[in-house]
Amino acid sequence: MRVLWLSSIACNGNTHSFLNYPYMEQFLNDFEFIYHPVIDSNYSLKEIVTETIACDILLIEGSISDEFKRADVPVVDIITKYAKIVKKIVTVGTCATFGGIFRESDYKDTTGLHFVKEVKIDKFKDLLNKTISLSGCPVHPEVLVNTLYAIKKSVDLQLDNFLRPKDYFAYTVHNGCTRNEYFEYKVDNHKFGELEGCMFYDHGCQAPFTHGSCNKILWNEVNSKTRAGLPCMGCTEPTFPKSNLFGTKKNMGIPQDLPLGVGKRTYLTLAGITKAFTIDRLEKKLFDD
Amino acid sequence: MIELIEKIEGEAKLDFSFEDGKIDFVDIEFMTARNIENILKGKSPLDALVINPRVCGICGHAHLIATVEALEDCYENIEISKKAKIIRELTLTFELIQNHFKWFYLVMRPLFGEKQEVLKATYPTQLMAKAIAVFGGQYPHTSYAIVGGVVCDVTEMDIIKVKHYIEEAIKFFELNVVQADTKDFLVCDNVDKVLKKSGDLPDILKEIKKKKYLHHGKSYDRFIAFGENSYFSKGKSHKTITTHNISMDHVKEYSNPNSLAKNVLYKDKYYEVGPLARAMINKVPLVKDAHRRYGDNIFSRIIARVCEIPQLLNHSKELLEQLDLSEPSYIEPSIDITKINGSGESAVEAARGSLIHKVDIENGVIKNYEIITPTQWNLGNGTKKKLGVSQKAMIGLEDVQTAELVFKTFDVCSVCTTH
Ligand code: SF4
Ligand code: SF4
Repeated sequence: MRVLWLSSIACNGNTHSFLNYPYMEQFLNDFEFIYHPVIDSNYSLKEIVTETIACDILLIEGSISDEFKRADVPVVDIITKYAKIVKKIVTVGTCATFGGIFRESDYKDTTGLHFVKEVKIDKFKDLLNKTISLSGCPVHPEVLVNTLYAIKKSVDLQLDNFLRPKDYFAYTVHNGCTRNEYFEYKVDNHKFGELEGCMFYDHGCQAPFTHGSCNKILWNEVNSKTRAGLPCMGCTEPTFPKSNLFGTKKNMGIPQDLPLGVGKRTYLTLAGITKAFTIDRLEKKLFDD
Repeated sequence: MIELIEKIEGEAKLDFSFEDGKIDFVDIEFMTARNIENILKGKSPLDALVINPRVCGICGHAHLIATVEALEDCYENIEISKKAKIIRELTLTFELIQNHFKWFYLVMRPLFGEKQEVLKATYPTQLMAKAIAVFGGQYPHTSYAIVGGVVCDVTEMDIIKVKHYIEEAIKFFELNVVQADTKDFLVCDNVDKVLKKSGDLPDILKEIKKKKYLHHGKSYDRFIAFGENSYFSKGKSHKTITTHNISMDHVKEYSNPNSLAKNVLYKDKYYEVGPLARAMINKVPLVKDAHRRYGDNIFSRIIARVCEIPQLLNHSKELLEQLDLSEPSYIEPSIDITKINGSGESAVEAARGSLIHKVDIENGVIKNYEIITPTQWNLGNGTKKKLGVSQKAMIGLEDVQTAELVFKTFDVCSVCTTH
């Protein structure tokens, strides 16, 4: 399969995240980049933008604006040209999907391919049925690579409302965090720099309402933000980046954003029950008794 | 003659003028700017810890560390544990190492006609990314260093894990880059000895000699480094004179009519930053020897960058030893940052050289943020009368291909240069 990796307004974080894919040799045997930001390819950027090189999958990294050019050609024109010939288009990362951080850059009308935040835009609407969104800032390398293999195998992927494969985005990032017990029993004693505690209550963890598999497949095969003690910033969501990312917004003591699918009453009932008992083990340090 | 330079985290345009068959001027143009500094205005100070790593996908961690140190500098008093400082230094060091491996295998070797060996770049860099992830949760784009320390706590088991990644990377280096015992390589002060070894680095260095490239890439022979840690010291060096007495007050940015990247000068002069600068200021014997023989040319620049790999791997082992796990990772600042009015600045050594951040906080939000990246120093677009560092290094060359090689020995990164 021939793949074009096109960077638009980006930090190239997805490019480097991809380089962390552990089975790169296998991947490079199965796919050929007709262009990639750092991996050598048979075509130059000039050739890519002036000619139409045969290609099966178009990967777009970075947010999109009419003003932005690669090799003097508007990136929207490059997208339009290759979109016609490829089998699938994949938006790689949150910028390409929703606009992300660089939605706020100086370029005019910066957007994702099909969305500005949650709002669907019309610009490329005839490409909707060809697109798969892989959000994340950056995208997880396994999410990207396995999606490409699924395309190669012509798997009929189930997608969510934002065109994200459910295989990775039906979960919440909260699934699999090592701090789950503190969350379950509502022990709100988290302090930064410690192995214990859950960041949902005070420190802005967005994992319970963020779609993704960070804690299921882990990053760099070893860890995740929340396991390390950093709140989930919700980087796979259309709203990324929100503001005041290290604090939990609350209304009358109740977190403003509740776990996905959990209503306020359910939450309050549960909170009420957990108030009735203390679990000694979770009040203490894990290691010292 | 305009040449598009690609695969440099974006692109740049070099417009060459020739006279008598030799390059007599190069106009360097970077075409994209995302204006991160503007994005930061009005935001809560801590949010900069999340936004700034997104300046750059390959050196975002340096931006994180620079951010946290600039924010902490806004305090009159803030206590950071030694443990947190060491952990921050470790993760930043790992980022430098991964960058150098990528530059060497993805960018440099192919320029010498070798086939690009992606796996030789990805294998060791993945080890370094894992080592960062043990502390920071993930790489790239963690925000684990926060005002007051680091968010993680680590156990002996984590230390053991990280140590193994380091050892494995050293083994990779000894098997591939320079086939020698790293311990000997680190104390080596004679480039001829390196040239006698096998390995991917000696191969390139021999090519440079064979192709008679030894005069290529000379610039002002003027170096500067602002970042300081337990390994690098700050200072400047010109030819053989080094001083450690420099001040960021003399650093000035100038906008550039032809390019979206701003030029940056120290006391109105261009300086080179990066591994060669650091090695000159820190007097690394092998690099000093290269410089004594060949000056600030591509040979010295390449050997300096690759040499940092084993130096830093070795140093990170020592840092691990110094970690006292009983110390706190994080000490909550006595005043919340949103209650602070003040300014702060920081300088860290990123892979490509000194990275400077400056922040003004007013009424709990960021009023102003300024970032000066290493590539702005090296790739500044000066005038014929006053050439930038890399421009000067390309003058006199006879063809565009060699000029591209010289340009890329500075480890060009378009996204950082323009941010
Ligand atoms: S820290 Fe975040 S991911 Fe972990 S248990 Fe708490 S809410 Fe879930
Ligand atoms: S934990 Fe949250 S912020 Fe971090 S990568 Fe996963 S989704 Fe993004």
